[in-house]
Amino acid sequence: MSSGRSPSGTSTIEAVEVSTTEGHRVRRVIVTLLTISAILTFAYSALSIYIATQLVYVPQKPIYATPASLGLTFRYVTFPSWEDHLQLRGWFIPGVLSSGRLTSQRTIIMVHGVRTNRADKGAGLLKLSVELARHGFAVLAFDMRGSGESQPAPLSLGYFEQRDVLGAVDFLRSGRLPFPELGRPRVIAGWGVSLGAATMLLAAAQEPAIRAIVSDSAFTDIIPILEREVPKGSHLPQLFTPGALFAARAIYGVDFYAVRPVDVVASIAPRPIFFIQGTRDAFIPPSNMGDLATAARAAPNANVQTWLVPGATHAQSFNTAGKEYVDRVVAFYTATLGQDSSGT
Amino acid sequence: MSSPSIDESNAPAQSSSFPRKSGAWYGTLAGLIPLILLIVMIVVVFILTAVARQLVAASGFFAQQQAALMVLITGLVLAVGVYIVALVFTFRRVTAWKQGGAVVLVRAALWALGVTALLVVLPVLLAIVLPQQPAP
Repeated sequence: MSSGRSPSGTSTIEAVEVSTTEGHRVRRVIVTLLTISAILTFAYSALSIYIATQLVYVPQKPIYATPASLGLTFRYVTFPSWEDHLQLRGWFIPGVLSSGRLTSQRTIIMVHGVRTNRADKGAGLLKLSVELARHGFAVLAFDMRGSGESQPAPLSLGYFEQRDVLGAVDFLRSGRLPFPELGRPRVIAGWGVSLGAATMLLAAAQEPAIRAIVSDSAFTDIIPILEREVPKGSHLPQLFTPGALFAARAIYGVDFYAVRPVDVVASIAPRPIFFIQGTRDAFIPPSNMGDLATAARAAPNANVQTWLVPGATHAQSFNTAGKEYVDRVVAFYTATLGQDSSGT
Repeated sequence: MSSPSIDESNAPAQSSSFPRKSGAWYGTLAGLIPLILLIVMIVVVFILTAVARQLVAASGFFAQQQAALMVLITGLVLAVGVYIVALVFTFRRVTAWKQGGAVVLVRAALWALGVTALLVVLPVLLAIVLPQQPAP
């Protein structure tokens, strides 16, 4: 610029003065750019870290009732998660046969959703556990890390929680069971709702001992949900979401981008999966069930069933369909796990 | 860059006090030192945060969170401090070169500093530009 504006023949002193003025201008512009960029990035990082701390921390809800309040025998259990050995608390409810005998032959691991616990009043988890037990299925219902009575931990939306399900399987196979007289389960199955369903799918993809899965209101990929929910929860623009997710990885080691049940669901085959979702689910759109079922059916020997529950909102299929829900789930487990033979 | 172009061709000839340092590469490198320091420090801070998280893992979530946050925030503040100090030093060098008439050095260093400003703000720009597909 300065050379263009310095006519030839200008004296050296004038040229130096022009050049110095331009130099100062350039320097000022660069200092301004450096200051603005540093402030913007620092502010962005600080807010992202704050959002990350809010995202992963959920206050633990106390258990409001036990299976005994619904007339069932149960015992408390504590077992470690797989790999990181966090202490998880739950209860083991033996199945009740029509003869009144207790059984643990067919045991179902039940996994709750986010910001709740193994009794989850909202989704009717305790009631469903009791219904399954009354149909002869033993139930291991436990609190995932950071929930209920289990050890506090960051909420990782399935990334770490799948270790809890794997820990539950290990417990049933080799842990000290609370009803030793009933023996070890002959078969293990899984049931999960919302986050619990997604976590169950992630765990089942790694653990062939989970022989059948009921997945109620699972998501295909957590990122689109976080991209919608993080701005809502933080009251900050969408642009902070990637920063918050990156900060969560730096602070807690949580890789939310890896929480994609849709990528692993096909590897569960030939074990059967029963996908359930409400038609009025506004939190995890029903299209998620369709995408998961399509992905699961990509396996050549897939065994996939689906049920869209009319009028049910998020994680409310059991509360909405009631007896029909229990009948369908019991029929699915009976068909895939076989009959209980302990009474014969 | 939208800043005015740097042209100091009418400045006095370069001083003989910068005989071996007059290349554009040297100026660029000098201008990039604050950015390099910042990147190295941030990488070290992330590694230290991961180490701190692992070291206190047995103490539970809250201790782990506190340790990781403390290391991360302290480290980032230190990194910003080092970055600012490095910028001040770089600008002092640029002033000295300018007074010595080392035009090429000054021009290269200022360009490098301009690029530094853009790279520092790049994460924010990417967060704005990269598409997101929030669930309906």
